[in-house]
Amino acid sequence: MLENSIFAILALFLLFGSLGMISFKQTIFSGLSFLLAMMALAGLFALLENSFLFLAQIMVSVGAVVVISLLVMLSVNVNEQNLPKEPAKFRWMLLSAILVTPFALLMYRSLTHLNREFAETTAGYGSLKMMGATLFSDWVLPFEIVSVLLLAAMVGAIIIARKEPVNDA
Amino acid sequence: MTPEPFFALATLLFSMGIIGIISRRNLFVVYMSIELMLSSVNLILALFSRLHGDMHGSVIALLMIAVIAAEAALFLAIIVLLYRQRRTLDSDVFSKLSQRDTL
Repeated sequence: MLENSIFAILALFLLFGSLGMISFKQTIFSGLSFLLAMMALAGLFALLENSFLFLAQIMVSVGAVVVISLLVMLSVNVNEQNLPKEPAKFRWMLLSAILVTPFALLMYRSLTHLNREFAETTAGYGSLKMMGATLFSDWVLPFEIVSVLLLAAMVGAIIIARKEPVNDA
Repeated sequence: MTPEPFFALATLLFSMGIIGIISRRNLFVVYMSIELMLSSVNLILALFSRLHGDMHGSVIALLMIAVIAAEAALFLAIIVLLYRQRRTLDSDVFSKLSQRDTL
C-alpha cells in the first residue's frame, strides 16, 4: 500500500515535469521542469530497489547533466524576440499526440506481454557490491568502450564550442 | 505491486519525448525531449532488472547514463555554436543541410 502511494506521487511529479518541459515557452522553466522529472525518476529507481542506480541518477543525470543544461541556458541568455515563434504550439502537440498514440499502445501491449511478476530478490540485490561484480565480470568490455566514448565526447565538445576556428598545420 | 503501472509510465514518458520533438522548435526543448526518451528506456531497463532479479539490466542502465552524459556534452556544444552563428534558438532557421537552399 505504501509502495503504491509512493509510486503515485513520483509518477505525478514525473508526468507533470515532462508535460511542463514540453509545453513551457520560456526555456529556463522547461529546464526546471526537466530537473523535477529527473529527480522523480531517481525516486522510481529507489522504489525498484536499485540503490546504486538511484545514486548514479542523482549524481550524473540530476547533478551533472541537468545542472549544466541550466547553466548553458542561463549563459546563452535568450531574449524574448530570439525565441522561436510558435503560435500553433498546442495544436501541433495535439496532432502529434494523436499520431503517437497507436505506437504507445503497441509499446505498452508488447511490454506487458513480456513479464508480469516481480521475482523474489536475493540478498544484496541492487547493492554497490553486486553491481560492481556484474559490471567488472560480464560487462567489462562495454565499460571500457564507454570510457573511450566519454573521452571522445569531451574532446569533440571542446572542439565544437571553441570560439576561434581550428588551424590545420 | 504489479509491474503494469511502471510499463504505462515508461510508455507515457517515451511518447511525451516524441511529442516534444515533433511539436516544438526550441532547440533546448528538442534536446531535453531526447534525454527524456533515453531516461524512459532507462526506467524500463531497471524495471526488467528487478523483474528478473539479476543485475544485468541495471548495469546496462548505468552504462546508458554515461552515454546520456556524453550526448548532453555534444548537444550543448552544438547548441552554443548554432546560437552564436544566428542568434536564435529556432530549429527551422538551421537548414544548411536541406536541399531547399541548393535549388
